[in-house]
Amino acid sequence: MSGSRAGRCAAIAALGMSLMAVSNTRVMAAGDRALGEYLSSECVACHQVTGQHAGGIPPIVGLPEDSFIQMIDEYRKKTRANPIMQTIAGKFSNDEIAALAAYFGSLKGSSPARTNTQTPRGRRQ
Amino acid sequence: MTIDRRQFVIGAGGVAAASSFPMPAFAQAKPKVVVIGGGPGGATAAKYVAKDGGIDVTLVEPARQFTTCFHSNLYLGGFRDFKSITHSYDKLKAYGIKQARQMAQAVDREKKIVRLANGTTLAYDRLVIAPGIELKYDSVPGYSEEVSRKLPHAWKAGAQTRLLKRQLDALKDGSTIVMIAPPNPYRCPPGPYERVSMMAHVLKAKGHKKSRIVILDPKPNFSKQGLFVEGWQKHYPGIVEWQDPKMHGGIKSVDAKTMTVVTDLASYKANLINVIPAQTAGKIALDAGLANNTGFCAINPDNMKSAVDANIYIVGDATIAGEMPKSGFTANSHAKVAAMMIRGELVNARTFPARYTNTCWSLIETDDTVKVGGTYAAKDGRIAAVETFISKTGETAELRKQTQAENMGWYSAVIADIFG
Repeated sequence: MSGSRAGRCAAIAALGMSLMAVSNTRVMAAGDRALGEYLSSECVACHQVTGQHAGGIPPIVGLPEDSFIQMIDEYRKKTRANPIMQTIAGKFSNDEIAALAAYFGSLKGSSPARTNTQTPRGRRQ
Repeated sequence: MTIDRRQFVIGAGGVAAASSFPMPAFAQAKPKVVVIGGGPGGATAAKYVAKDGGIDVTLVEPARQFTTCFHSNLYLGGFRDFKSITHSYDKLKAYGIKQARQMAQAVDREKKIVRLANGTTLAYDRLVIAPGIELKYDSVPGYSEEVSRKLPHAWKAGAQTRLLKRQLDALKDGSTIVMIAPPNPYRCPPGPYERVSMMAHVLKAKGHKKSRIVILDPKPNFSKQGLFVEGWQKHYPGIVEWQDPKMHGGIKSVDAKTMTVVTDLASYKANLINVIPAQTAGKIALDAGLANNTGFCAINPDNMKSAVDANIYIVGDATIAGEMPKSGFTANSHAKVAAMMIRGELVNARTFPARYTNTCWSLIETDDTVKVGGTYAAKDGRIAAVETFISKTGETAELRKQTQAENMGWYSAVIADIFG
């Protein structure tokens, strides 16, 4: 009896390990939402946490995580315009970007962001 | 006599309760945080300490609403109205924040209490002081708080801003405006020059052909100087004259009765005199012994704690914040770090290494805005820039217009962040 239970536990553990392995093959694994919430305190001075938006600052709430990660990565590589965003994104590690994507992606906005946002087109400045 | 069964049960239960469930005092009372000052630093600190619960937060702020210094120049220029830069504290109640509608009179750091103007006291486990600035009226000979009712500084927004706006709007063609700019360090480095731009805009919009603005500066240079000079030459040729100390030789006096400003070089008869004197941290911080001989308060760049008292955090214009300028954006950034560290100390919340950000936008003329800013972190015992950015001369009109759109978007967002 203990043998088959041990066998089942081992099988479940192996399945868990393989699932983790699968998720880690993505460039950025699921983000640390609590870390994202802390880092977001910098963002919400300009990007409202409710998703409401005004002026030239687009909403970033409720974006699919992949799209969010790609945009921040483009700012980090300076292939997407806006010096403020380039400076802010420039200091983030992959884990931090994933964390932000997880946090903002988890919020429900009053005006959900579109993936083709109104930020300046990706020209080098 | 046999004991009544009910009494027995109650008695036994009472004894059992006392011995089985001892209640340590701190498990019943939440830790207390008091915040002095309801500006962008203090209100942000109160909200971010309170919003995830578990801490009793009291905001000490006598006013019912707050007029932001940032964007008050836009009101002067006619780009926004006074109501749009004035905000209520009501929404902060939703986070459980209590407001003590009093001036804080003194801090007893030994006893960890704040004494209010009405004599009552507030005990704290941690204190956040965000008092903003105090104006050193006597740094300009002939100036005083009394004189500021005729020659406004408008460097604290509210009634002073409205006074300056009234004076500006009443000017006839052929007027002379004299601004006495402040020495470093001061609140909002590009502020005086954005204000001059807004004044020039108003004069131009009113069709003035002969009015002029003279800036008497105790500083040899100023924030975003190249950008402002480019803008003034483009939009307001012949209207704005900036004088550095080598030109004017020293500001000697102002006289409200004769409306005269005297420098070593010349004497000016003015129709409007805007004096922006030297500044220190707010009085309550000085009285509490938190400032050094610069008149501002040293802080630990890793957490915004006062360098002289581990139970007190200081945020915003009152601090010596290394390479960060004194701005509303900076105060909001400081406050979030302080709140995180306070929650870490009091309720074991997760903390992360401190990071700070600032951006300052300045409107020069309609749809022509420039910015400067950066990201910051603790380095070698102070807050140092990690990376900075600044607008460039010769930028396209479209880019400057986008920059102004960002400026307006930021204002809406930061107000929701601070007061909403």
